[in-house]
This record gives sequence, structure tokens and C-alpha cells, in this order.
Amino acid sequence: MMAWFGWVLLSCLLNVMLALFLSPLCEGIMRKLRAAIHSRIGPPITQPYWDLLKLLGKENLRSTGGVVYSTLPALTLGSLLLLAALIPMGTTPPLAFAGDMIVVLYVASMSSVLIMLVGFASGSPYASIGSSREMMMLLSVEPILAIALLVGAFKAKTLALAGIVNWQVQNGPSISMAIGGVAFFLALQAQAGRLPFDIAEADQEIMGGPLVEQSGPRLAIFRWALWTKQLVLAFLLVQVFLPWPHFGIQLADLITTIVKVVVVLTLVALIEVVNPRLRVDQAMGYFMRVAFSSLAALAFAVIGK
Amino acid sequence: MHIVDQAAITRVKEVAAARSNGAPSAATQPHADTLHFAVDKRAMRSVVEGLVNELQARFMISVGTDKRPITGDFAILHLFSLDADHLYVLLESPVSEKDLRIESITQLVPGANWAEREFRDAVGVHPEGHPDPRRLLLADDWPEGVYPYRKDFPYNYQPPPVENVRPQMREPPAGASVVPMGPFFPVLEEPSYWRLFVEGETIVGCDTRLFYNHRGIEKLGDSVLTYNEIPYVAERICGICGFIHSTCYCQSVEKAAGIEAPRRGRYIRTIMLELERIHSHLLWLGIAGHIIGFETVLMQTWRIREPVMWLCEEISGNRKTYGMNTVGGLRRDLQNQMKPKLMETLREVEKEAIAVRNAIVGDTTLQARTKGVGVLTNEWAKKICAVGPPARASGVAIDARIDHPYAAYDEVVPQIVTQDAGDIWARVLVRVGELLESIRLVREALSAIPDGPICAEIKEEIPADRLGVSVVEAPRGEAVHFVMTGGENRPYRWRVRAPTYPNLQALPAMVLNETIADVPITLGSLDPCFSCTERLETVDRRTNKIRIYSGADLLEISRGKGRRGGAS
Repeated sequence: MMAWFGWVLLSCLLNVMLALFLSPLCEGIMRKLRAAIHSRIGPPITQPYWDLLKLLGKENLRSTGGVVYSTLPALTLGSLLLLAALIPMGTTPPLAFAGDMIVVLYVASMSSVLIMLVGFASGSPYASIGSSREMMMLLSVEPILAIALLVGAFKAKTLALAGIVNWQVQNGPSISMAIGGVAFFLALQAQAGRLPFDIAEADQEIMGGPLVEQSGPRLAIFRWALWTKQLVLAFLLVQVFLPWPHFGIQLADLITTIVKVVVVLTLVALIEVVNPRLRVDQAMGYFMRVAFSSLAALAFAVIGK
Repeated sequence: MHIVDQAAITRVKEVAAARSNGAPSAATQPHADTLHFAVDKRAMRSVVEGLVNELQARFMISVGTDKRPITGDFAILHLFSLDADHLYVLLESPVSEKDLRIESITQLVPGANWAEREFRDAVGVHPEGHPDPRRLLLADDWPEGVYPYRKDFPYNYQPPPVENVRPQMREPPAGASVVPMGPFFPVLEEPSYWRLFVEGETIVGCDTRLFYNHRGIEKLGDSVLTYNEIPYVAERICGICGFIHSTCYCQSVEKAAGIEAPRRGRYIRTIMLELERIHSHLLWLGIAGHIIGFETVLMQTWRIREPVMWLCEEISGNRKTYGMNTVGGLRRDLQNQMKPKLMETLREVEKEAIAVRNAIVGDTTLQARTKGVGVLTNEWAKKICAVGPPARASGVAIDARIDHPYAAYDEVVPQIVTQDAGDIWARVLVRVGELLESIRLVREALSAIPDGPICAEIKEEIPADRLGVSVVEAPRGEAVHFVMTGGENRPYRWRVRAPTYPNLQALPAMVLNETIADVPITLGSLDPCFSCTERLETVDRRTNKIRIYSGADLLEISRGKGRRGGAS
């Protein structure tokens, strides 16, 4: 019993640490890439760590009071670290016993809801607009994530993520999972708040949206949370839809997974630099079409492709 | 130079005579392309109606002048352009100090809205029947009844401060809420306050307060500076189209005084003006990209723009604000041995500009954000008297370089670029087209430039009481300078109208029923330049002391600074 508990604790710690400390690095790589396409030199790839340090050292200003308001940054980051412990990162999910795919979907949307709340609570018109945009984006992107994961669940006949991954490893690529993966990737672009879907933040329109009133340590934690979110979702994408090659050796699997995650995030950054921001109605229309297309994956799954 | 058709002049005179209600208007012709009518103020509205309805005259600007030291009255002057006839028409009407009112023409010409409010604020002549008589030019704490452009008002006078004043803003319609944009906002380079009335994300109306930093440059021009000092101040009206304003000012004085700038000087002016258009349009493309989050466009266009700035530096010694213009021509020649380098840089810039154009034209997401958005209809563009790319993108084929040729544009003739859709996409296409056209023009001017002097010798003093009107097609549209000469080696009245002045007035109609997300890019698509419009200046202030300032402290500091620094 103790050994099992120790193992869970250790692998939880591994996932959480990986998510926390790898996410600024990924952000740094994405910034560097963007700079290259802009014909700029760009900041060093360690810059996001320094950004966090700098923000964490600043005065903590709050535009409004309340216990809930003051704990929202921590809750947001916490929800994403919980998500990190619920998904596989090169190994089985540490908290697999605590919940399956359904829990993952709920926990994944928690951070968006919390950021929405902080926006509505901060009493700025820009934050309110940002929060309502965030809500619209969440409503149009969430079904796509659900459908994509559901395809896997249908194929593997299990709701447990580890089961889906195992099934994928054993059965190899299939049309339905490929379509599901593409849909998941498109949704990831929006979940990570990347152009052309950084509509809720939209600096030039609503000055950062829900987070307009956040500064110093609070902003640092929100930033960190958003970077973690994009990394964890990229892990989820890579593990569920692209688990090959699978060596069965933990360290080797972890390293290949990280490489694949960096490739996915590079793609995300590439799409970001070659697109202007869409309007929220255009983005919703777009994701509506993606959602209907991803239903095709379910159809393929039914006929066993 | 275009010879103005005698028949056109006769037509204008007939219309003016027929509309003068029995009090005939005295016509003079201060310059070959300028007709001046002294109109009775009771007949003003009907003469304007005749000009606009029968001759399709385009309103340019109004000038309020305190002529009491000369004639005993104030004078209100409306400036019109008959673009097809290459003719300016000036309607001037004396307004007695005993009855400081004149009929408003805004109902006839919506584009005269700000111009009339401005002369009310400046000299105190009230436009009667104006639909929106709120304050425009003066600060909110400026006392009532103090008119800074009157001749008995010293240029450095500071009225006593007033506490707790707010701009008079309209309330939103029932059911709508307010989203403020400005006075300071990420995508606005300069202060302007837009109150957007929204239902959800949809704009149902808007109100605006501008002129936050009026510098009083015109006042300096007719009270402190001399003819040859003004070009340097005029160049500082704008950070982007500085050369345009100094050229426009010099040309208006040259016209008033009957000075002919030499051909070589005119060619160099043309080259510099077109170089400014090239770098301004590239700058605009970048900013437009930035507004909709397309940073790659910003970074690449500004990289392409840089060699043009270096060229300007090599020609004039400065990237911007060249200080080359003077009344009568230029102070600095363009070295002939620079020609090959200019040609080489132009070739590079053209190659990359074409690459950018091809990338932009094929971008579907970009089109999704700009097509059918921020539409300025052809009809409203004419009514609000829009100029420049916004007008040309709405199918109004006006271009000062063609309609009122100046510098060397009579020999180096530009091709006008127009579009009919009137949306942001059309404005993008117009500007990209003009960018490539400007490159061609510089090239043509460089190969045709004659040798000779660059500045005319001015032997006599510039006579008083002469009028000069000049336009220059800035990258943002037509800039207008009006000069009435005076004694003491300075103008009696100098009036500047930047292109953003009419174009900004079109914005409320353009954002109606759009979403909040579209407002920044719609405003950006006008390429607004508030400092030109308001003729203002911003000041950087640095302090090492750490101290928490209250609103009242800041007010006090700004006033103290104003008092020390003289005119604000």
C-alpha cells in the first residue's frame, strides 16, 4: 500500500514539475520561432522564466477584494496542475484511479471558467467583454475536445485515458483517430489562446480581456497557468492521438513525448504568425464546422476504420 | 500648370450672382486657380447651396479671421474646391462684432461640422442652426467667452484653471452600455476619446472628444514667427508627413506673393513627397496588421521601410523632419551622384513591396477581417468631404496631385488608384496600389529632373493682404494650407487643415452596426493622424523622485509646466 502510494506521489510530482517547469521553456521556443519569421533576433528562450520571476517580485495590487477573487490565480494554476496529474506524460496517468476521460474534460475547462470569473469580478468593461468572449470560445471548442476523445473511447471501449493509449499503441493508426487528432489540434490552438483565436485576450481591442486588471504576482500566475495549459493539452494530444513509437522504457518514452510536444507547439506557433485575429463570430462559425467534421471521425469509428 | 477654363469661372460667377439674394457678391481672382467672393452673410447659405448642388463643389475648410484691425469686422471664409475644373472657390463674409452670428452650412454640407465649431471656438462667431454646437477645439476647462485666435489675445496668455470639468458627452441610447476607447488606448498612437455605445458587442452609436493637445501652431504663425521660420514649425505638425505640411505652407505663401519656385526645386519636392508616401504607406500597412494581430506584416513592412528612411537621411541629414523647404524653393539640393543609389534602393523596395502585396492579396483570413467591414459609402464619403485613400476606396476619384497640380506633378503625372467597395479591404488595396505607383513616380522624377537653381531669389517684401491656397496630397489625403499675408514679415492668418480632419468625421457612420472587435481596425484604416488634425505636441517628462501623485497634483504639475513653458 505504502509503495503504491509512494509511486503515485512520485509520478504526480513528476508530471506536475514537468508541466510547471517545461511550460515557460516551450513558450520561449515559440517566441524565438515567431521572432525568426518576423526577421527579428527575439528574446533568449529562457526569457519567460525571467518574466515570471520579475512579475512575481512585484507589488500585489488588486482592483477588488474578496477571498474568492484573491484565490483565483492559485485555483487556475492548481486546476491545470491537477489536469497534468490526470493525463499520461510518457507513462500511465498518475491519478488514473481518480477519474477517467469525463473528469479530464471537466478539469480542462475549469481554468477557462476561472479566468472568466476573474474577468467578470474585476469590474472593467474590457474584462467583461473578454470574459463573455472566453465563454463563447469555450462553448464552441469544448464539444470538439469531447468528440475527439470520445472517438478514442469508442475504439478502445474504455473511458480510461490509459486504456485508450494502450489500444492506440497496440492497434496502430486509424482514419477515425487521425481525424479526431486534427480536430483536437485545431481546438488546442483556441484553448491555448493563440492567434487566430486569441480573441478573448485581444490586446489591441480589449487590452488583454479578462486579465486586464491583473498585474504583478497575480498576472505571473495566470501567465504561468496559460502556458501550462497549452503544454498539458499538447501532451494529451500527443499521447492519445500520436503515441507511437512506444518503447516501453519510461525514460525513452518520456523524451520522445517531449520532442513530439515541442513539434506540436511549433506548429501552433507557426499558425499563429501567419494569421490575423478572427472576430468571435467568425471563430465560432469556424469551430461549428470543425465540430461537424469531427463527427465524421465518430462515423468512421463506428464502421471500424 | 493647368490653365483654368474660363467657362468654369463664368459658371461659378453666374451661380454666385444668382444665389446672392439681390446683394451681388464681389468677385476677385487672387490667383489663376483661385476665385474669391465677398458674400453678404445672409446670402452665404444660399451661395453655398448653389455651389454644392449645381457645381458639385467639395467643401475643404472654414477660416475664421479676426479682421477688426483692418476692416473692423470678423471674417468667415469657406473654402471649396471644384476638382474637375481645377479651381478653388473662396466665399468670404464679414461678420460684425455687434452681431456675432452666421448661418451654419452644416445642414447642407455635413463635412463642415467641425470647421464651424472650430471657428466658433477660435474667434467666437456662432454658426446658427448648427446640429451639434458642442466645444471642439478648446480644452474643457477653458473659460467661456475667451477666444484665442482673436488678434487682441496674446499668444502666451494662460486662463485661470478650473476644477472638476468634464467633456460634454452624449448619453448612450436606452438599453445600450458604454465601452470607452481612449483617451489612451493600445492601438491609438495619440490621445483621442471614443465612447462606444454597445449592445452586446454591436455598436449602436458613438461619441467622440478630440483636440486634447492643441498646440496653437496657427496662433504662433500669425503672432510670433516669420514667413521663413514657419516652414520648420509646419514640418513639425506631423511626425510622418512633415515635408507635406512645410511644402504646402511654402506653396501657399509663394502663391500669395507671386513667387515661382524653380523647376529643379519643384522636382526635388516631388521626390521627397513621394518618398514620404512610400514610407508612410508601408508604416500604415504594418500598423493595420498589428491592429488585427498580424505581427508578421508589421515586422516585415517596417523592415522594408527602413532603407527608405536611410535614403531620406542621406538626402536631407534626417530620417524625418528634413528642414529642406523654404519660401521660394529648397535649401538643400539633391546630389546628382545619389541617383544610382536611389534607383537601386527603389528596385529593392519595389521587389519586396510586390512580394508583400501578393502575400496580402491571397490571405483569406485577412480578407475575412476586412471585407465588408467599416464601409464608407460613396454618397457619405462625398457628403462628409472625405479625402485621400478613404475617399478613393469609396469610388470618389479625387487626388490633389491631379486636381490641383503642384510641384512637378504637371510633368510627372500620377495614375489615380480607386476602388468601389468602400470597405477596409478596398482601402488596403488602394494604399498598396499607391505605394507601387509612388515608386514609379520617384523613378520618373529622378530621370526627368532638370539642372538649375533650387530656390527663387526673393528681393521684395511679401505684400500684405494677399491670399494663397495650396493643397498637397499627403499619404492620408489632401492637406490644405491657407495663408493671408500680413505686415511684420508674417502671415496675418495661417490656416492648416490636415487630411484626418475630414476623414475622422466619417468614422461614426463607418462603425455603426459593426462589433467592438472591428472598431480599432476601422479607425486604423483611416490612417488617422491626430497631431496633424489637432496641431499638437506631446512632451516626455522624466523624474527620479518617487512620490505618489494625486489627480490634483498631476493637474497642478501640468499647469505649472505650462506656465513656465509659455504657450501650451
